[in-house]
Amino acid sequence: MNWFNTNLRDILVGRMNRFGQIISAIILAIIIGALIIYINGDDPLVAYQALIISSLGSSAAIASTLSKSTPLILTGLCATIAFRSGVINIGGEGQLYMGAIAGAIVGVYITGLPAIIHLPLALIVGALAGFIWAAPFEWFKVKYGTDELVTTTLANYIAILFTTYLVTNPLLKPGAPLGMTRNILPSAYLPKLVSHGQLNVGFLIAVSLCVILWFVFFRTTLGYELRMVGSNPRFSRYIGISVGFRQILAMGLSGALAGLGGAIVVLGIQHRFIQNLSPGWGFDGILIALLAGLNPLGVLPMGLLFGILKSGGLGMEAATNVPSELSEVLQSIIIFFVAAEIGVTMFFRWRNNQKVQVEESLKMGTLDEGVFVPSDQSSFSDGEE
Amino acid sequence: MNYAIELEDITKRFPGVLANDHVNLSVKKGAVHALVGENGAGKSTLMNIIYGLYLPDSGSIRINGKKVVFHSPRDAIANGLGMVHQHFMLVPSYTVAENLVLGREPRKNGLFDRAKAEETTRKLSEQYHLEVDPKSVVHNLSVGTQQRVEILKALHFGADTIILDEPTAVLTPQEIDDLFNTIRVLVKDRKTVIFITHKLYEVKSISNQVTVLRKGKVIDTLPTKEVTENDLARMMVGEKMEPIPAKSTIQVGEKILEIKNLVVGDSMGSRAVRNVLLEVREGEIVTLAGVEGNGQTELVEAITGLHPIDSGKVYLRGKDITGKTPDEIRRQGLAHVPGDRISVGSNRSSSVAENLIARRHRQEPFSKKGWTNLQIVNKFAEDLVDRFNIKTSSINALASTLSGGNLQKVVVAREFTFQAPLLVVSQPTRGLDIASTRYIRDVLIEMRDNGHAIILVSTDLDEVFSVSDRILVMYQGEVVGEFTPEKTTREELGLYMIGARRQSKVESIA
Repeated sequence: MNWFNTNLRDILVGRMNRFGQIISAIILAIIIGALIIYINGDDPLVAYQALIISSLGSSAAIASTLSKSTPLILTGLCATIAFRSGVINIGGEGQLYMGAIAGAIVGVYITGLPAIIHLPLALIVGALAGFIWAAPFEWFKVKYGTDELVTTTLANYIAILFTTYLVTNPLLKPGAPLGMTRNILPSAYLPKLVSHGQLNVGFLIAVSLCVILWFVFFRTTLGYELRMVGSNPRFSRYIGISVGFRQILAMGLSGALAGLGGAIVVLGIQHRFIQNLSPGWGFDGILIALLAGLNPLGVLPMGLLFGILKSGGLGMEAATNVPSELSEVLQSIIIFFVAAEIGVTMFFRWRNNQKVQVEESLKMGTLDEGVFVPSDQSSFSDGEE
Repeated sequence: MNYAIELEDITKRFPGVLANDHVNLSVKKGAVHALVGENGAGKSTLMNIIYGLYLPDSGSIRINGKKVVFHSPRDAIANGLGMVHQHFMLVPSYTVAENLVLGREPRKNGLFDRAKAEETTRKLSEQYHLEVDPKSVVHNLSVGTQQRVEILKALHFGADTIILDEPTAVLTPQEIDDLFNTIRVLVKDRKTVIFITHKLYEVKSISNQVTVLRKGKVIDTLPTKEVTENDLARMMVGEKMEPIPAKSTIQVGEKILEIKNLVVGDSMGSRAVRNVLLEVREGEIVTLAGVEGNGQTELVEAITGLHPIDSGKVYLRGKDITGKTPDEIRRQGLAHVPGDRISVGSNRSSSVAENLIARRHRQEPFSKKGWTNLQIVNKFAEDLVDRFNIKTSSINALASTLSGGNLQKVVVAREFTFQAPLLVVSQPTRGLDIASTRYIRDVLIEMRDNGHAIILVSTDLDEVFSVSDRILVMYQGEVVGEFTPEKTTREELGLYMIGARRQSKVESIA
């Protein structure tokens, strides 16, 4: 995957293959989902119709879908930037909570600011909180070799429980039935894009970040270095890039995106921090990133797809006996098929790559572990270059 | 006539490459048949077809006149074929006997019968005069002995025909002599040997028949005594090679690199480099010769900042660079062509252009305020591709699609155009074809003539003799001898390389 310098034809071919893969996975998932609905005693057509109508059937439905996609796009970007840079960040969920609580605190407790300052401040602090809750774990990795996969995973629980403590104790809104902060001040509200419903400027922020991050990755020196570090740390070190520093930065930026997602949920939708605020957006983000092929632009359609399934699932439940959990099942089936297909292609490519690498190395007498990097262009060779 | 192997009309196509193009090859029983050709000529593909790793698209194979189809190496082994790969397939922590029987272990009461395995090894070893100690652990053995174990293993599995894939690449001159003696013993025993190489004097000294492959086609099969090395080279390359021009003698200049009492540990905690002292001046190529694994890699990595230094000092252009980062050292004026071009010297999952621009990516005009200027980057990459004659479908092709020689040209193009006063070049032509090898050696000499100081690591004695101004032999982390190419011989260097001799006190001062 290499769009820094790839010509249009290659991009299109790669994109079309990937598009085909995902479409076929979706179709397969729909068929299997239909079977499950049928076995469950419902009419699949009715259920699917309800799913589509309630997610895309009206302008209100579309607005709701876009709104539900917003945090998913941001957590998808969070995972994308990390994985591309060779950093395993499983902590998007916790970083999102930290961003959300930080945004809420700024929204509730900093008073007397005009919206033009208050809102950006709350967003920035949210992103910053995500950064601060992510970067140290990569620092531990660089400095002491602690596995960031483990530390960031565990950090999720700390973040979720810590924010729950905050909103059930010191920050608890007096008289609230469950843990939540007081409402944020209107000066920190994200402006709505529609008169009814929850769609707000946060969605536009998420969309523009997809584009901005694409440019960062493929048109800037920082992006170049992050990709080099992510795909071949030994080469990066040899060429003089400070690998550890870049990875700490990547982890921080990744956390900042999740944190921003959390702040947007608080400032745009809920207008307060409610305990257990996320239904697992941080984890969905990892899947979205992988389905998007770790391309920031691909995160947008994948985030929207997840948004459709989430908002359509509720409608499906209302119209039929099919529980909304089924839309999660559908999600899982899609992921399963796409992952299986990508997995199979990548496996062959990887094996092919490995073979070439091993044969080359044999020739040179330097076997080494070799960094596995999935590539979008197949690199066949006769194995004796 | 009795043939061990007959290949008829073998064609094998890979996406975009015709690896073997209607190849006919007959190998006489009891002969040493050399197979020569540049990298990419199709030798390995052909051998992999014989050995059952690939199925040919068309054509047939006969073994002892009987038509066969191999679906896996198991079939090939069952038909009396054995292959000794360039990189040995031995388990380093096992003994010779254990390795030899691995896959066909003798059993007693359902358990491994060690005594029987050692007995078998001893018998085979005596039968073929291939001396090995069944009880020694493989990782303690020299490369030459390990190769002997591989050959014995093939014999144990019943091989009548043994394919040796570039067997001399890792051997010292003395070990090569031993190998040739082994081959003679095998042939005396009516075994057939297929010998893959691109070193032509080896073809002349050991083989009876030689087949030249070029671009997947058989150019000719001839009795070895009817051809000269020059004929073979011409057939391999397809054109006449210019002889290497005599090196101009050039006055050495300023001291560029100075290493004082350098000690470097290896990954296992022992000393890989012991007390090395050396200097390199402008306009000279100082070669570190030696068998691989005698501290050359660690020494180079210590100089370039990729490996920590235990003690001692390294000065580059008068400045102490000991323990500095690769970036700081490169800023002081160093360029580095690493021995491992695949995972260190290049990023195979990036484009050719991205590989060429590495390290310049932050400089103007290639980028400004953090934004990459693609037009300038691409133009720069196109220029280098032209200048260094890098064969690639486009500058946007992934580096992993390049052949070894072209990938190495990418590394060389990037590093040599930094105009750094010191070039650290490790194994620059390993695994490359004749034309690329020649090109890279020419560029090295040109850089020297332009006044660069060059430190070269090489295990290839051809290279050592053709480009060096001074030769330092490393053995077990020490410099054990210093020579000039005019005043030494392969054999003399070989004795130093295996530690049989050392100069009493080596002062490597220019």
